[in-house]
Amino acid sequence: MKTLLEIKNIETYYDLIYAIRGVSLSVEQGTITTILGNNGAGKSTILKTVMGLIDDQPDKGVIEFDGKRIDGMDTEDIVRLGVSYVPEGREVFEELTVKENLMMGAYSRKDRAGIKDDFKRALRHFPALGDRLNQLAGTMSGGEQQMLAIGRALMSRPTLLFLDEPSLGLSPILVKKIFKIITDIRDEGVTIVLVEQNARMALSISDFGLILENGRFVMKGDSKTLMEDNDVKEFYLGLRCEESAKGYQRWKRKKRWR
Amino acid sequence: MTKKAIPQVFRETAAKYGPRVAMRKKEYGLWHDISWNDYRQTVSTISAALISMGFEPGDSAAIIGDNCPEWIQIDMGIQCAAGVAVGVYSTNAWQQVSYVVENSGASFFFVEDEEQLDKWLKFRDEALGLKKIIVWDMEGLNAFNDPMVMSYDDFLETGRRFLETRPRLLEDRMDRVKPEDVSMLVYTSGTTGDPKGAMLTHKNLIWMGRAITTDNPMYDTDEVLSFLPLCHVFEQLFSMMGHIVHGYTVNFTESLDTVNDNMVEVSPTVGYAVPRIWEKYYSAIYIKMSDASWFKRMAFKMALGVGKKRSVLKMSFQPVPFWLEGVYALAGLAVFRKLKKRMGFDRLRVAYSGAAPISPDVLLFFQSIGVNLIEGYGQTEGTGVTCISRVGKLKFGYVGPPLTGIEVKIADDGEILVKSPGVFKGYFKNPEATAETIKDGWLYSGDVGEIDEDGFLKITDRKKDIIVTAGGKNITPQYIENKLKFSPYINDAVVIGDQRKYLTSLIMIDEDTVAKFAQENKCQFSTYKDMTRHPDIIDLIDKEIGKANESVSRVEQIKKFTILPKKLYEEDGEMTPTMKVKRKFVHEAFSDLIEGMY
Repeated sequence: MKTLLEIKNIETYYDLIYAIRGVSLSVEQGTITTILGNNGAGKSTILKTVMGLIDDQPDKGVIEFDGKRIDGMDTEDIVRLGVSYVPEGREVFEELTVKENLMMGAYSRKDRAGIKDDFKRALRHFPALGDRLNQLAGTMSGGEQQMLAIGRALMSRPTLLFLDEPSLGLSPILVKKIFKIITDIRDEGVTIVLVEQNARMALSISDFGLILENGRFVMKGDSKTLMEDNDVKEFYLGLRCEESAKGYQRWKRKKRWR
Repeated sequence: MTKKAIPQVFRETAAKYGPRVAMRKKEYGLWHDISWNDYRQTVSTISAALISMGFEPGDSAAIIGDNCPEWIQIDMGIQCAAGVAVGVYSTNAWQQVSYVVENSGASFFFVEDEEQLDKWLKFRDEALGLKKIIVWDMEGLNAFNDPMVMSYDDFLETGRRFLETRPRLLEDRMDRVKPEDVSMLVYTSGTTGDPKGAMLTHKNLIWMGRAITTDNPMYDTDEVLSFLPLCHVFEQLFSMMGHIVHGYTVNFTESLDTVNDNMVEVSPTVGYAVPRIWEKYYSAIYIKMSDASWFKRMAFKMALGVGKKRSVLKMSFQPVPFWLEGVYALAGLAVFRKLKKRMGFDRLRVAYSGAAPISPDVLLFFQSIGVNLIEGYGQTEGTGVTCISRVGKLKFGYVGPPLTGIEVKIADDGEILVKSPGVFKGYFKNPEATAETIKDGWLYSGDVGEIDEDGFLKITDRKKDIIVTAGGKNITPQYIENKLKFSPYINDAVVIGDQRKYLTSLIMIDEDTVAKFAQENKCQFSTYKDMTRHPDIIDLIDKEIGKANESVSRVEQIKKFTILPKKLYEEDGEMTPTMKVKRKFVHEAFSDLIEGMY
């Protein structure tokens, strides 16, 4: 399999905060890779660093996309190369209609025919959006906004798609739906990197998983192996390795990867 | 001098210091003071509660939890009720906890929180001797109801009521405790077989509390930081024995993760830690320095050179030339003062390393930067300390002369024998083991060593750890391991070679320094495991081993090594609570890696 994204030893600072402390990662084409971690571990920062959204970062390290070095490039150029990003909390343009939002995703493209195809494709994935093309995005529900955000990201015809917590604030049924669509998108050949808090769901659809803690990966493996790991079970899947005799338990065992 | 037992000494000290601060505890970001009056009051309440619930003199009670004032207060409360206190490591799995609780015959069990309570719930059906379980942190247990379990607050309330009605009873009980009575059981970490409970008497503890400060004085104005496990004799030396004798202040860290920060806040005047912690500080300084600007790096290098030169002279009892003292003083002002302040070492008058052998080179490093780190040697069975260097009088590679009042001699086979008022009474309910350890009043330490013409003791190794190679050479693995551990990239090492043609080693790398090296040299890795397998890292460790090999004889050289793919944990039984690698465990668990090297 071909390596689509290669991150080598990146370090990122948010002002004075040393957020990413040396991270290397390779993402293979056509797979879903999940990055798990607590709040503040640096998951989103990795995505933002790759997208060139944090000024003058990464401080150190190399990022290669499809064999081409992209660290230090402008975000719009990175998008043009075929990387797309759905930020946490969707961030659709609330004052624009659904249609306008989708078209914004194709802002950097010139090929009208291609844009039309992709518009159709987005609506095929998200039929609900087709009924509301003229509705203002801000008036839609959270789930619909999430769909719109993913649809908008697809409009740039990415080969690599970053999804930052797509399940945030959605009902369980919607989460299922979104994750189903994510696998459909992968099946179309789009490589996906997923950052998630909903570990169970994310691992169930992904091929590889990594666990980030304090700006460093502490564990990696294929998703099945990770789901069997005792630490992952305890800290990310909410399963107890040892049941308390009193039937419930508040404390957690000490992490063994520290 | 040792006519008094702990309750009486405690009572006197508490009366003497009254409103002064005995302990400090950091909670939710704030330091809280506990005066000697408060300490005394709480201890009385605990003792009274125990007595009211049928705790008889000589009964034992167990305590499990992380370091906090409650731990010490309960410990003292048990002893003032003429009982025997038994500490259990909070990191122990329930099976080990069960063993200690049952073996000690404890009738009361003090547990810190829900996590520890859950351990008891696992073995409650077997521990029939227990009358009551007292929990001092009830968070998450409000809905929990069990006739056996009592909250600490309710327990104290019982004690208060009892004190009001029968105030004299407790004082009488405290008066009746005799110096020969057993005051605590300290369970040895047990690298082989079940742990054994060493019986320490009031006399042992009081004597040691005074003895450790005879040679290196301590004062009531001193501050110490408590973070080593309280059930270990090393922490008890300072948090309890020395404390009630001298009346200084014990500071409890917020948690084990905040030791470094708390160290800076408290800036103790007397420090103590296990070698692993000193080594960690050494690596941290190393990292900090390699990150500094060129100018700072050069300044540090020069200052360290001066410091080393002076320390080497001092540690071989040679006069230090006047000019060197001058330059050293300058180096101290310009470089070391700031460095020490950042780590919270600026007020340290003396610092101790114990519970495991420290690499002499690490010790020299700290001496060179002006931290007065001194190694102590001893064992639980001798109430902690046998030999210790005196401030300003250290010898490179030696643990120092015996503590004043201790006799040390070397047996024909090299074993170190000890006679002192600190020698324990024996192992609890284990006369065979006691007979093997104490013969004719001499404590057989199990360590091999030699005494030089100045009366300084040098430890060679544990008797049972000595390696005999296939070529018939006797080799002391500890010596080589300490050479390896001096590398900032190597956290721990286990040398192997018994009945083998050559020596090999399992290496545990230091995550921080190695990760930094990897980053700087663009070695890609994502997890710790990846890092241990990276060819560049293996190469790095190979070079470090090469350096260590240069300073040992040919038969002592490490021919092959393997980096362990995982970190070792106490909870998994891989390390002792004082952060020593369990050799036996490592040999078994990684036997395939070991075989791979032969």
